[in-house]
Amino acid sequence: MAFVSSGYNPAKPMENRITDIGPRKYDEFYPPVIKKNKGKWLYHEILQPGVLVHVAESGDEVYTVRVGGIRLMSVTLIREVCDIADKHCDGHLRFTTRNNIEFMVDSKDKVQPLIDDLESRKFKGGSFKFPVGGTGAGVTNIVHTQGWIHCHTPATDASGPVKATMDVLFDDFKNMRLPAHVRVSLACCLNMCGAVHCSDIAILGYHRKPPLMDHEYLDKMCEIPLAIASCPTAALKPGKVELADGTSVKSILVNEPRCMFCGNCYTMCPSMPLADTEGDGIVIMAGGKVSNRISAPKFSKVVVAFFPNEVPRWPQTTNCIKNMIEVYAADARKYERLGEWAERIGWERFFEKCELDFTHHLIDDFRDPAYYTWRQTTQFKF
Amino acid sequence: MPTVEYGGKTFTVDEDGFIDSFDNWNEEWVQLVKEAEGIDELTDEHWKTVQVLQDYYKKNGIAPMVRILSKVTGFKLKHIYELFPSGPGKGACKMAGLPKPTGCV
Repeated sequence: MAFVSSGYNPAKPMENRITDIGPRKYDEFYPPVIKKNKGKWLYHEILQPGVLVHVAESGDEVYTVRVGGIRLMSVTLIREVCDIADKHCDGHLRFTTRNNIEFMVDSKDKVQPLIDDLESRKFKGGSFKFPVGGTGAGVTNIVHTQGWIHCHTPATDASGPVKATMDVLFDDFKNMRLPAHVRVSLACCLNMCGAVHCSDIAILGYHRKPPLMDHEYLDKMCEIPLAIASCPTAALKPGKVELADGTSVKSILVNEPRCMFCGNCYTMCPSMPLADTEGDGIVIMAGGKVSNRISAPKFSKVVVAFFPNEVPRWPQTTNCIKNMIEVYAADARKYERLGEWAERIGWERFFEKCELDFTHHLIDDFRDPAYYTWRQTTQFKF
Repeated sequence: MPTVEYGGKTFTVDEDGFIDSFDNWNEEWVQLVKEAEGIDELTDEHWKTVQVLQDYYKKNGIAPMVRILSKVTGFKLKHIYELFPSGPGKGACKMAGLPKPTGCV
């Protein structure tokens, strides 16, 4: 398409420039019933999976229908969401912090037509566009990252494994049969954008090979001290390297036995790529939470050291997650989050019940705090 | 990598318009970046910023933190943005011939 100017003048970039205006204020987009009753809600109920009702002091009710969001979506799909909101909700909608979509209506008789409309919409391939669910003690949306769609440091994909996992866990998105809610998150490298370090179950992209050094360009592309300081295990040091043509250049030397393949140096220095088809894969973590309910927030812990990237459906990863959730659902007590359950029965029982292999990779060996993760007691189960 | 010609000189640049090597920097490069960055006129303050960045990079091998740049030049961040509308990274570092900033930018 030919160039169409928005009115911006590249010759005078600072002319008529609007800046520092921030986001639009949230209350501009409130549905009327929300605006009227803000701060005056009495109680709420989950009527059925995916459907909530909030009742205000004035007696007003607002019904919320939550549907799964795919997070990465086209303008076409957003327009369809807007059409639904125009049709049923006077043009109002919201997105949740787990990227689900919520449609709100102000009376009960508007709920069922909305649900029927949402559930009737499917993509050509057959998948639901707007599956209703994601409330209460079930599995709601997976917080995830960019993966191979857009990022340059991933060790796995994001959208692909998320689709594969949610297909396997779809029944739990539409139901509330678990002891407590299970939060699943994914990050495609251990930058851990998102929530993998604090989720009940976390999928994490992981490398297994040290960076490949592009000595010819390294000193030109990179600020060497930055790359060296980016290494958590001090595996990098500055050095001179002789190129094939005999010239000596400044570069970085990698002490490979000290490298644990985090990829931080590649983040800082484009001349140290480390992605690898066979080497890269997925680590599964479990037992994290952010809420303060009953027990304090917890970090998730590594429970599976490695699954390969099995494009496009990641069967080993999804089977492992499904199995973990089934065992947790059968064994945990009501209100018990996955991490609370594992800590109550002991991690040795967790591995036994979930039939996961315990390998030496799972034993913490990073600096002094590693010591506190070992068992300094005789209390354990055979 | 693509090349651009300016003032009779040829520069190799990446897709963001950063120069391929600090060693290939010269005064024509500054003029080239000046146009690309929409800077009307190069003042002494522009040159001082470029000078500080280059001295720091030669001495330390990294670009200075913004606070250090402010402290050494005496320009507040707001003023650095007035000099370089794209900011100290995409504007000033590019003009000074430093490597492209990396990390989660």
